[in-house]
Order: sequence, then structure tokens, then C-alpha cells
Amino acid sequence: MVALTVLPALGQAIYFKDKISWRSSIPASEMVKVDQARSWGDVAIWVDARPEEEFTRDHVPGAILLNEDRWDALLPQLLSAWTPEKKIIVYCSSIGCNASREVAKKLREKVQLKDSAGQNCVFVLEGGWEGWLKGR
Amino acid sequence: MKSFLRLLDFIVGAVFIYAGVIKMLDPAQFAGAIDNYKTRLPWAVCVGFAFYLPWLEIFCGLALVFRLLYHGALSILLALISVFIIATVAAKVRGLDITCGCFGHASQHWSFPAHIAVDLAILCAIGMLCLASRSEESNR
Repeated sequence: MVALTVLPALGQAIYFKDKISWRSSIPASEMVKVDQARSWGDVAIWVDARPEEEFTRDHVPGAILLNEDRWDALLPQLLSAWTPEKKIIVYCSSIGCNASREVAKKLREKVQLKDSAGQNCVFVLEGGWEGWLKGR
Repeated sequence: MKSFLRLLDFIVGAVFIYAGVIKMLDPAQFAGAIDNYKTRLPWAVCVGFAFYLPWLEIFCGLALVFRLLYHGALSILLALISVFIIATVAAKVRGLDITCGCFGHASQHWSFPAHIAVDLAILCAIGMLCLASRSEESNR
């Protein structure tokens, strides 16, 4: 059974080869480093995907809270601040957290946020909040 | 008793088939869930598991339902659920705020007690099936 399972798993890996990277958990085109994100200045909208208590304790200046727990209540605030010229940078607590990936995915797929050229405008901050603190 | 055990076969089998199919449909999400346990596994290994484990769960679930390769499937599922429980408890002890990847998006907001309760219930059910199949064999 253990060996039998390898076959469909291999088939699936081939089928999903363009949809999942074996090198990084997020495709490079959807990640942004702290320095690059800072260089975007006012074009960037920072989105904090951590729980509200952590956001209240401290966050990137000007960041908007948007997490999956209160998605419907918090989303309008982001949408009112966003225009197609803006880039959205989503972060959660650290490099291993999942919240920023999920929020970014939802913004791309469900809300369908794209820039004026139809390209991706939602990025995940490499290293998350910890990375931002180190680069401060 | 025999029909109860058969029903348990179906329930446990169905749970693993469901869990496997949900995860199989979104391997990226499952790979992320494995990565979140911070077991120091390289990302490529997490991706490999994300492709492999759902199919293993599906085949083992089917084996329980159809009683094919039954003992092997039970042993694998017992090992799998034990590893899941150990990994979950270890993550909690290390203070990790993880999302449960057991049923894909459906279990994303499960609390730790709910997560452990489901895993322990499945462990008990598999344990019962293992004991029953052993005593069945010794009676032959």
C-alpha cells in the first residue's frame, strides 16, 4: 500500500507542477523583501494578518488589520484605501506563519485585486513582522 | 459486535477518505500546514508529504471500507494518527499557533482541544479495530 500510493502522488505532483513550488512555500513573484517593500513608500498598503491582540500591541505604521477571523468586518477598510496603483503587502508574525499567505491568497482569488495592468499587486512580506522588526 | 465493528470500519474509512480528498485537492495549503509545525523539514519534503500523505489516507480508508489489505491499512493509519497527535501536542508545547491541516480549509479554525479530541477519538476507534482484528485472527 505504501508503494502503491507513490504512483498517484507522482501523477498529482506532475499535474500541479506549475501551481506549487518545491523551492519556496510562496512563489518568488508573490514575495517581497523588507527593503523592497519599504522602497515602495506611499504606493504600499501594509496589511497585518495577525490576530487583533498582536496588532493592537504593535504593528507597521499605517498598517490595516485584516485577518481571517473578522474578514467580512475588516475588508471594507482595506478596499476603501486601495486603488489599482497601490501594492498590498501582507504580513503575519514570522517566516513560518500561514496567515499572510492565506489572506494574500484570498485577496487575489476571492476579492480579485489586481493592478491596472491586470498583474498581481498582493505580496507577502518575507520574514513577516519579525523580519520587519529586524530591518527597522 | 461484528456489525458495530464493521460500522466503525466504514466511519474511520470515510473520515480518512474525506480528509485525504480535501488535502489532495489543495496540496499547497497542506504543504503550508505541514511547514507550520516547524519540524525543520525542508520545504521540498513538506511538498512531497503533501502529495503523498493524502493518497495514503485515501487508500487506507478504502482498504478499511472494502476490507482489502486490512491489517496493513490499520497499522499505517495507527502510525499516521499517532504522529499527528505527537506533532500537534509538540507544537502546542512549543507555543506554535498552528492551523490544523487535518481536514484542509474545513479544520482551519479548530481549537487545540477540538483538534486533539478528534484525533484521540480516531485513535481509539483504530485501536479498537486493531484489537478486534487480532482477536479475530487468534480465534481462527
